Amino acid sequence: MIRFQDFSFRYQSGKTEQPAEFALKDISMEIREGEFVGITGTSGAGKSTLTYSISGLIPHHFAGDFYGSVEVNGMDTVEVHPEQLARFVGQVFQDIDSQMVSSVVEDEILFGMENFQIPRDEIKRRLESVLEMLEITPLRRRQISSLSGGQKQKVAIASILALQPDIILLDEPTGELDPESTIMIYEILRRLNREFHKTVIVVEQKIMVLCAYVSRLIVLDKGQVMFDGSSDSITGEIELFKSLGINVPRVVELGHLLKKAGLYDGEIPTELDGAEKMVREVCADAEI
Amino acid sequence: MNLLQYLPGNSILHRLNPVAKLAAAFLLGICAIVSQSVIFTTLLIVLLLGICFACGLGKRALGLTRNLLVLGGMMFILQLFFVRSGDPMLSAGGFTLITQDGLSSAVLLGLRIIATMLPLMLLFAITEMNDLCGALVKRLHVPYRYAFIVTTAFRFVPLFTAEFHDIEDAQKARGVEYDGGLIKKLKLSVPLFVPLLMSSLKKVDSGAMSAQLRGFNLRTVSSGYREYPFTAADIGCILLSVLMIAAAAMI
Repeated sequence: MIRFQDFSFRYQSGKTEQPAEFALKDISMEIREGEFVGITGTSGAGKSTLTYSISGLIPHHFAGDFYGSVEVNGMDTVEVHPEQLARFVGQVFQDIDSQMVSSVVEDEILFGMENFQIPRDEIKRRLESVLEMLEITPLRRRQISSLSGGQKQKVAIASILALQPDIILLDEPTGELDPESTIMIYEILRRLNREFHKTVIVVEQKIMVLCAYVSRLIVLDKGQVMFDGSSDSITGEIELFKSLGINVPRVVELGHLLKKAGLYDGEIPTELDGAEKMVREVCADAEI
Repeated sequence: MNLLQYLPGNSILHRLNPVAKLAAAFLLGICAIVSQSVIFTTLLIVLLLGICFACGLGKRALGLTRNLLVLGGMMFILQLFFVRSGDPMLSAGGFTLITQDGLSSAVLLGLRIIATMLPLMLLFAITEMNDLCGALVKRLHVPYRYAFIVTTAFRFVPLFTAEFHDIEDAQKARGVEYDGGLIKKLKLSVPLFVPLLMSSLKKVDSGAMSAQLRGFNLRTVSSGYREYPFTAADIGCILLSVLMIAAAAMI
């Protein structure tokens, strides 16, 4: 369980500079165990800051003004060091290349387990298990620099999963991936959420993908939560999303337009399957 | 060619303990410095190249030698004209340009540079930096933090080189022409160091955060997964290097 209580954070600015704007303002919310949460918003909305405050990098790595509290599994992130929190929270950063600390796939996955002094037999078991789960066993001895973006992303996720955290944070995991690899990564995350009951929190710009996978969507703007609800409920908030500069999925927009024109009065779908049904209904009514 | 890039393989050199490889590279470097004989130093280079070819690293070794020849050549020219002792060999207008001692020490210095650098360069070609880090911690009890910093610094060199080329390409795409003399290229490259420094610092910071979130500071000497035992081949390799130093000192 993650609990934000009146949480605000402002990054430290230089001595001669004006105080920076709050990166996050008055955040109060809870993320429960086993949720699959998508966080979206425009650039500078505070998405990455939110993930850093869950993993404890804020305030331990990034200095600034910290107000309110953030609790992860009952632990106050101010009092607990990120390395202790890392037993419960695993984070995959946006820039995959720079977070790799090893040159070889196997070494990258071993890194965290060695640091946490996991017994040798257990390391071996977990290593083989995550390699198999993410279907990267053939890449085991490969140089990371020779892998594709999707493969690197899998390695980064594997290195976190090997530590068996309860909460997995991913910051724009598909930013540099093609649509096929994007789907592949989200299918893995869905599996982790459903089969292994992991709490998955993804920062993502591709709202269409988020709507297809997450159970809860949080929209940030200028450091504040502007929307927090199920991915299906975005259909009633199109104007809000547009005013925030966030494109809603095309199918939602189409449904909204059809409804506005009086051609459709059913529920607006958020996925392609539902869109097909909606279009068929409209065509049948219009006898096309 | 990236001189610090690891070349995966299964040769006997690859299989040696990383600490033994490091020791051998260091000892062979000393051997090249100790040697006062042009013939011995030449034979040392030939021997090193022969071992590389036998282990399937011939192409890399030749590439390294070619790069080192440039450096050796520069040192040769400097030594040739700056050493004044010995019988004059070439004079112009009553001024001695080259002496016999100058020529012999220039040849020796040129060869010595190649013989000193070649084993170190080969160390990078046959040693995975993570293994070197692990072996330094397990066998020599170097604190993990320091071993990690040193090996990571070497691992970052090719990444920064690639980053530099990316920035250079971006500049080229905006019309900057790097063709021309060395001075012109250097002048044009200086402004690139600012974005390179910024992106490098960002990468290092991101790497540090990632390591921190995977328990970097919790590591102890005993927590490494791999063991790095010394075998007869490792001991033989070090002994051979010591014998080479003795031979260099005697010849």
